[in-house]
Amino acid sequence: MNALAGEFLNLDVMWRVMPMILAGLARSAVLCAVLLPIGLAGGIGAMLLSTSRVRAVRWAAIGAIDFFRAFPPLVLIVFVYAGLPFLGVELPTLASIAIAFFLNASSYFGEIYRAGIRSVPAGQAEAARSTGMTASQTFLSVTFPQAVRNVLPELISNTVELIKLTTLASIVSVPELLHSADLARSLTYNSSPLILAALIYFAILWPLVRLAGRLEHRLR
Amino acid sequence: MLNPDGAGAPAGSRLLEARGIRKSYAALEVLRGVDLVVERGELVFLIGPSGSGKSTLLRCCNRLEEPSAGTLLVDGVDLMSPRIDINRARRQIGMVFQGFNLYPHLDALGNVTLALRKVLRLSRRDAEARAMETLALVHLQDKARSYPGQLSGGQQQRVGIARALALEPKIILMDEPTSALDPELVGSVLGVIRELRERGMTMVIASHEMGFARSAADRVLFLEGGVIVEQGTAEQVFTSAREARTRQFVQQIMH
Ligand SMILES: Nc1ncnc2c1ncn2[C@@H]1O[C@H](COP(=O)(O)OP(=O)(O)O)[C@@H](O)[C@H]1O
Ligand SMILES: [Mg+2]
Repeated sequence: MNALAGEFLNLDVMWRVMPMILAGLARSAVLCAVLLPIGLAGGIGAMLLSTSRVRAVRWAAIGAIDFFRAFPPLVLIVFVYAGLPFLGVELPTLASIAIAFFLNASSYFGEIYRAGIRSVPAGQAEAARSTGMTASQTFLSVTFPQAVRNVLPELISNTVELIKLTTLASIVSVPELLHSADLARSLTYNSSPLILAALIYFAILWPLVRLAGRLEHRLR
Repeated sequence: MLNPDGAGAPAGSRLLEARGIRKSYAALEVLRGVDLVVERGELVFLIGPSGSGKSTLLRCCNRLEEPSAGTLLVDGVDLMSPRIDINRARRQIGMVFQGFNLYPHLDALGNVTLALRKVLRLSRRDAEARAMETLALVHLQDKARSYPGQLSGGQQQRVGIARALALEPKIILMDEPTSALDPELVGSVLGVIRELRERGMTMVIASHEMGFARSAADRVLFLEGGVIVEQGTAEQVFTSAREARTRQFVQQIMH
């Protein structure tokens, strides 16, 4: 039992690697701060394209969304990171990750927004149009706010997924939280840094998960 | 006033002049050449069995539904013109819906101010001042900060009327404004409609409130199968209809 605690819950080790872990956390925060807006905004783009009145655009968008939802995000990151240079495109690591997340997260968020838009009764837009509001005013002031409200739990859940997916940046050597923790593990020959990272993730994500659950309960 | 074509009245007194309105959904022809001519200040009742095309006709009048054929003039403006700015034209045509269609994410004040801000581009202060005046007209100034979910059906419908009224339209179209209401709430909405009429508002109302039609409507139109079968005063249509179909329908809704 003591050996187990020493391997996984070694407070001494945790304390020693804390600066590294915190640096990793900071890097993870930056990743989230960049990638989440990209996903949320890209999702709006995906939703608009996949509900376009032009059939060719709609089909192309739906095809792309299906593809990127089914495509493993880890492979996607590697493809963008290692593949683009072969096409003569040299990008900073963060940009590669941003592109991969744009493709993946936009597809997921786009589908959530689309479900949200569908959940708003047609009479809402009709009422707005009957007062002389334009189609875009109607969308921005009437349809979209209600759509977001109706799928808020799903948006939050997907945000949690996105935050967890930022750990994939470690495979292209971005020293985010998990990467730092793993490095600390190999330096200390002890698994406690990983537990520490997990605890930090849990402390951040659990309130979000709880919030999504509560909202879901309230909306049903 | 009671002349079906409004003939003899000066052209300027015709507020709504819809002629030969047709509407088809695929193979189904819902409106088959309807004329709806409404004089300034007139209250026209539209009755007819479910599926006869009442809602479609009203929705064609502001092109929420695109007529397949026909001409449509509102206060002399040709709404079917290819150059028409339909959003501008719709400011003149208020619409009230059977299911209220209030914006649930906005309070009563927000429901009324939205178009004032977005369409008329009033400042927040001016929009709220005008919205409060309009809410007072429907006796809901105390409910300005209530959300639709916190209001009774009758109150919601009055907010719906205020939302249309705030834009100072020339005409208001109402699609069964009381048929989604509990019986005890119908009176408050009809009361507001009566007050609007006394203020000279022009209205077309699809409704089967016969008592109200008798006391307030200038004209009753009976629509069936996408054509206007008969029209006249409420008295004429309800008690001495010429057409057997009209008499039969009136019999049904009286019981
Ligand atoms: N969007 C639509 N697509 C197909 N058919 C429709 C549509 N809207 C209405 N209809 C049909 O048009 C007919 C008239 O409908 P409506 O105008 O709602 O009648 P009313 O309001 O008198 O009950 C009905 O048969 C209805 O099924
Ligand atoms: Mg109807």
